[in-house]
Amino acid sequence: MNALTTVSVDHPSTSPIKIIGFVTLILALALLPFVWDNRFYISLITQIMIYGLLAMSLDVLLGYTGLLSFMHNAYLGIGAYIVGLFLIHVSQSSLWLACLVGVIATAAVALPVGWVQVRTGGLAFALLTLAFGMMFHTIVWKWYSVTGGDDGLMGVPSPDIHVFGWTIGNTGDPTHIYLLTLFVVSFCFILTRRIIRSPFGAVLEAIRENEERAAFVGINVRRFKLYGWMLACILAAISGALFILYKGYIGPSTMTAFAGAGVLMMVLLGGMGTLRGPLIGAGIFIYIQDYITTMTEHWEIYLGLVVIFLVLFMPTGFVGLGSYLKRLRGN
Amino acid sequence: MEAFLCTEDLCRQFGGVSATDCVCIDIEESGLRSIIGPNGAGKTTFINIITGRIPASSGKVLFQGADITNKPTHELVKMGICRTFQITSIFQNLTVFENVRIAKQARDGGSLKIFSTKKSLKKVTAETEHILERLGLQDLAQQEAKNLAYGDQRVLEVAIAMAGSPQILFLDEPTAGMSPAETNHISDLIRGLAEEISIVLVEHDMDMVMRISDKVTVLHYGSIIAEGVPEEIKTNQEVREAYLGKDT
Repeated sequence: MNALTTVSVDHPSTSPIKIIGFVTLILALALLPFVWDNRFYISLITQIMIYGLLAMSLDVLLGYTGLLSFMHNAYLGIGAYIVGLFLIHVSQSSLWLACLVGVIATAAVALPVGWVQVRTGGLAFALLTLAFGMMFHTIVWKWYSVTGGDDGLMGVPSPDIHVFGWTIGNTGDPTHIYLLTLFVVSFCFILTRRIIRSPFGAVLEAIRENEERAAFVGINVRRFKLYGWMLACILAAISGALFILYKGYIGPSTMTAFAGAGVLMMVLLGGMGTLRGPLIGAGIFIYIQDYITTMTEHWEIYLGLVVIFLVLFMPTGFVGLGSYLKRLRGN
Repeated sequence: MEAFLCTEDLCRQFGGVSATDCVCIDIEESGLRSIIGPNGAGKTTFINIITGRIPASSGKVLFQGADITNKPTHELVKMGICRTFQITSIFQNLTVFENVRIAKQARDGGSLKIFSTKKSLKKVTAETEHILERLGLQDLAQQEAKNLAYGDQRVLEVAIAMAGSPQILFLDEPTAGMSPAETNHISDLIRGLAEEISIVLVEHDMDMVMRISDKVTVLHYGSIIAEGVPEEIKTNQEVREAYLGKDT
């Protein structure tokens, strides 16, 4: 028995160095807009964080539950449209209520979709995500009277950010929305990391590893796949709420399969099944995209080349690069 | 007295072939029942139906008096019906410890605790350690399952099944591909378990079957052709014919 007392059951508990590093990073990012007066880059980092959250939510599905969603951006889009519509038609100033409604309504859409999807697995699941995603895209594209169709949802008001009755900013201000995004994304990251390392997260990993064996140890596989799906969609909806507050606009192009593939690339670039990887992947992807766009309008071609290069030479993603290089040298 | 686990006219057809053909079997509350038969006799199909891996075409499976025919697998496990597979089925990228721990957690509950640590399920952790020790896997606890030797993976699969606190455990060729030493280790283990719970063993290794079984059931073309203690089966004419063909 004594031999086993040292066995670690959990992931090794987070070392103080890592916690200090994380807090330092968040503080540095929080101070950034006050020392670096470049609104363009502050705005770009906001976008990276929003897509990082979306990519991280896809990682919950792909890296931890073993389910591939081609169009996870659909749930960012649905969340964003609903928050935007709420701000336009219901209340211009209720930021938190709008976000809450957006997340709940997105979950209400995702639930029946997930219920259908979890009856399958593997390729069939992935194709269903594509089918539903394209339906959602077509709806927002064609339902002109509600969504603005091709033109997108315009004139979304920028509400003030209230916390306990204090007004601390306005979402229309790049610095304020940057700080709000930083806070929400960090919070979601910590929360998701906790969930992934919980007994619940262990069930998701078991399903990823071996669905049949999971069923034969007594796990209701469909039910837990659905829980994993819902967690991923709720996180995506939160990224959608941030998206509409940040941009004040959303168009149907955000919800195309093309954009969905981009989110998938962010996860693979950063490192699947690592949570922090997709956040880094979003940074790489969006930075390269932005950089190449300044030189040529055919940015997709060059970005494609870069992604092919990175995938071939960094098969474990950016996060796994260190151990991959070590192994290469070992061989 | 009602039977512990029994089947009534259990059938399963694949196309026109009856893989399991009107099988009625009674299995005791403890002890070791072996199911043998030539290749293609329908042994695996038979336990696949009972454990909910494939549905029955007709007939019934009764467990402690309750009809459990075609119930979802995870519900059967919660009733104490566990199994291993002919082709090793484990969680490859998880540690040996986590392989067993997740099985224990699935059985004991706690899977909906989304903010707790895995350590906080103290009973699950303690019982996982206990099972690993019993099967002699404690030194491998932190290894990833995929890095284990084949024989150890087979033992791990038994450990996973045991973590389900089975009342009846189905073992589908647990010694397939094992060395003689490993086979001995696992057959001792199975014999020990059979003192506590009911074990149903599908096996090709006749020496092992005859040595450790309490009772043997012989399947041929999906039907039972003989049943009895090992000595009876060894001398049964019909069984000899099934394995060796009729004397002419």
